[in-house]
Amino acid sequence: MMKLIKARTMVLPLVLLLFLSFSSAHKFYVSVTNIVYSEEDSAFQITSRVFIDDLDKLLKERYGVEAKLATPNESKIAEEYIEKYFRTKFVVEMDGKIVAYNFLGKRYDNDVVICYLEIPNVDLSEVKQMSVQNEVLTDLFDEQKNVVHVKWKGNKKSFVLIRENNKGMLNL
Amino acid sequence: MLFFTAIKSDIKMNRFKYCFASVLFLFGAVVMAQEEGDVKEEREPGHYNQSKFKQLYEEFSTPNTYRSASGAPGPDYYQQQADYVMDIQLDDKNAKINGEETITYHNNSPDDLEFLWVQLDQNVRAKDSKSPLRNGNGVNIAYTAGNFAETYINEPFDGGFNIMSVTDESGKPLSYTINQTMMRINIPEALKSGEKISFSIKWWYNIPDHTVNRARSGFEYFPKDGNRAYVIAQFFPRMAVYSDVEGWQNHQFWGSGEFALPFGNYDVSITVPADHVLDATGELQNRDEVFSKEMMKRYKQAKKSYDKPVLIVTQEEAEAAEKGFATDTKTWKFKATNVRDYGFATSRKFIWDMQAVKIGSKDVMAVSLYPKEGNPLWEEQSTKAVAQTLITYSKHTFDYPYHKAISVHAKNQGMEYPMICWNYGRPNEDGTYSDRVKYGMISVIIHEVGHNFFPMIVNSDERQWGWMDEGLDTFMQYLAEQEFGENNPDVIAPNEKYPSRRGDPAKIVPYMAGDQSYISPIMSNPENVYQLGPNAYAKPATALNILRETVMGEELFDHAFKTYAQRWMFKHPTPEDFFRTMEDASAVDLDWYWRGWFYTTDYVDIGVSGVKKYYVSNKPTKEMEKYMADRNLTEADLPPLVYLAEEDSEDFEPELKGKSPTETSQNLKEFMMDNMSEAERAQVKEPKYFYEITFDKPGGIPMPLIVEYTYADGTTENVTYPPEIWRKNDAEVKRVMATEKELVGIVVDPKLETADIDTTNNSWPKKDEKSDFDQFKENIKGK
Repeated sequence: MMKLIKARTMVLPLVLLLFLSFSSAHKFYVSVTNIVYSEEDSAFQITSRVFIDDLDKLLKERYGVEAKLATPNESKIAEEYIEKYFRTKFVVEMDGKIVAYNFLGKRYDNDVVICYLEIPNVDLSEVKQMSVQNEVLTDLFDEQKNVVHVKWKGNKKSFVLIRENNKGMLNL
Repeated sequence: MLFFTAIKSDIKMNRFKYCFASVLFLFGAVVMAQEEGDVKEEREPGHYNQSKFKQLYEEFSTPNTYRSASGAPGPDYYQQQADYVMDIQLDDKNAKINGEETITYHNNSPDDLEFLWVQLDQNVRAKDSKSPLRNGNGVNIAYTAGNFAETYINEPFDGGFNIMSVTDESGKPLSYTINQTMMRINIPEALKSGEKISFSIKWWYNIPDHTVNRARSGFEYFPKDGNRAYVIAQFFPRMAVYSDVEGWQNHQFWGSGEFALPFGNYDVSITVPADHVLDATGELQNRDEVFSKEMMKRYKQAKKSYDKPVLIVTQEEAEAAEKGFATDTKTWKFKATNVRDYGFATSRKFIWDMQAVKIGSKDVMAVSLYPKEGNPLWEEQSTKAVAQTLITYSKHTFDYPYHKAISVHAKNQGMEYPMICWNYGRPNEDGTYSDRVKYGMISVIIHEVGHNFFPMIVNSDERQWGWMDEGLDTFMQYLAEQEFGENNPDVIAPNEKYPSRRGDPAKIVPYMAGDQSYISPIMSNPENVYQLGPNAYAKPATALNILRETVMGEELFDHAFKTYAQRWMFKHPTPEDFFRTMEDASAVDLDWYWRGWFYTTDYVDIGVSGVKKYYVSNKPTKEMEKYMADRNLTEADLPPLVYLAEEDSEDFEPELKGKSPTETSQNLKEFMMDNMSEAERAQVKEPKYFYEITFDKPGGIPMPLIVEYTYADGTTENVTYPPEIWRKNDAEVKRVMATEKELVGIVVDPKLETADIDTTNNSWPKKDEKSDFDQFKENIKGK
């Protein structure tokens, strides 16, 4: 049996889902977001990996945009809508205040689209708490799980965010 | 280097010099002992053999007459046989199966059996099943309404077997005991070695909707036309395996650990609505009765069509049949020889195509069954993928021995049975589909059809060792996918290679680098691992791929792998039989590889940690001077010696640079003049640069040390040191390179062949590796 289907039959404790490698995630509704603090740039560097066909479907259902992502006929407005969507569904707060991020762009890697986001000018010594809300694709798929890994100054913390539990908090 | 060998022989000629050489050899150890002499003496305790190259005797059981040390079946190897005569009735209206079977069980073992164990797999879905209770859970922050109802309100589905009777040959009831998914038949007298017994079971069960509870078999309901498409397996009480390694394999079916089944012959009649199209394990016995004249004509065409499938039932015909709902029935009769299981698919929705594939001297039929919801993808790709699988797998194992292989489209399914399997890959309602759906579909078909080889024919125990079929199959799947890509460039365009999800070493890195508390060794029971996907599929497949490409080489690997498949074809192998055979047929010592990759959760991490540059000198180094002073020796007491001065040490003098060894070492020059003819000296290419390179190994798995050396003139040299280089020091090893050209770069594992989990330590000089993020940012700036 192909493993994907089988694993779906199991009631896995959420924490285990953290360790599913992305390459085996076919048929899972999963995105993986890495948030890394760069000392050099004093910035949080964010990469978010989402399946192309899931995002394609989202753009069509939510905005009526025939995006045709990763094809020669990709819609010119696709990226604009991806950014718009991220700004609605992916929100970072520091000490209770929403922080602005730059949406740098996207690239494709096999069947996933990687979105690059950056929160510039963060002085970690002045921030006590951070929260990450990631509801990407939970509006489209009930089963969507968004894995978020945060790394800063040698620390690591991971969340699995779902529709009903969309926010992860951590003390820096 | 010619002159180094010559020096060695010279030393042997001179007794004094020889003694000195041994003293010098011990030198390092002596100094260390002296230094430690001052410290308070604390003896290190002893230890067991901790070498990563230690023999696997402790993990392996002792070979015996059932299983030989070579990895082949031994002279007393035996296996049981279970033959079935079955009469199956599908109640389409109520989604139920009624069945009657007579099992003839042959006891080929040397043991007398007091009772028999029969598997009742559907009991995992019984109302009182313990399977849902074996995992812990907690209260969620919130639930979707559907999720909540499913968890706390809805009655659980009653999907267990209802055993109506178990009777002996004369029809008298036999006593039996059901323990969850296992039924013990309490036969009145022990079944003696070499004897057989026949008994009959009557049963029924409710067929589950496999799209809801994700069963391995069941039906999918299509509300638009009111039809069901059935993919049916584990539908009958099946004999458990009795063997020399497990006795009875009656480990309960919990859901993850798949199946262990004996081989046997099946004679099966399946009665379904008359307008259904059905295919199943085995040869159809009454084709004339169940096929229309038109279907017969097309079938004959298909048997001669080697390049493309021929439709036996067209989409138009299937769509017309969807409206029928016949109340009369048809019985399809099959016979299957030497299979370990049985499955069938039936629906009035099925479109059916077939083509012939030449395998050796035989024709095999590649077959697909799919509802219109699978098109256009299924008519385009399914049978093509089946044919490629049969060809690639046969090449690497044995000629596919059955007469057909069927791929059935069932939503969300990926499950295998002899000659037949269910596969996902459904286009959108408008017929469009993404690459993910297309490649997912082709890959799952290759994978499930491939399971015919492992475990349907090379019949390993899935309940105990998931990786033995999943890992080997996923490894073979990679090869078949790549060949599919080569043969169908139009299907995979614009990719140049089939985008395989598993097999490429780099793809296993995130798993192997993951949190150790959630990783299990491959050699674990599938019920007890954290991540079955990487554990039983991706990691063993990648391990075999690396073994083939990097450790053994394709020729040695392929011969050994084929030997394993042929030795254990239609038999029951264990992991050791595989490990032993791979060594037996190749003369490659692989104990270290099986240990590292299969028995531990170690990972690969090898790097280059330091480079020292030396020049030949005629002057003793400071270290040598101290050595002589300590022993009251002068240079005159010693034979002519050649020294190497490190560039960053006080021994170094700038004039040594850029000169050849004979220019800087008078001793060497004289030696060469005394021992070599002019012509010989002219042949010698003297190295000018000497490097001592330290390689370190933070990872636990020893691997070949693959190094690319780059020289100042831009040329490169690749050297692969065998994995045994780590056998005496698992943490670090040094190599000296004597070169004519200046060395400017060293890269370990330059082609990423070893699944090295951290490549930041793989280069000298250390590369300032830009993160993916920084690279992306830089690229967009440039635009």
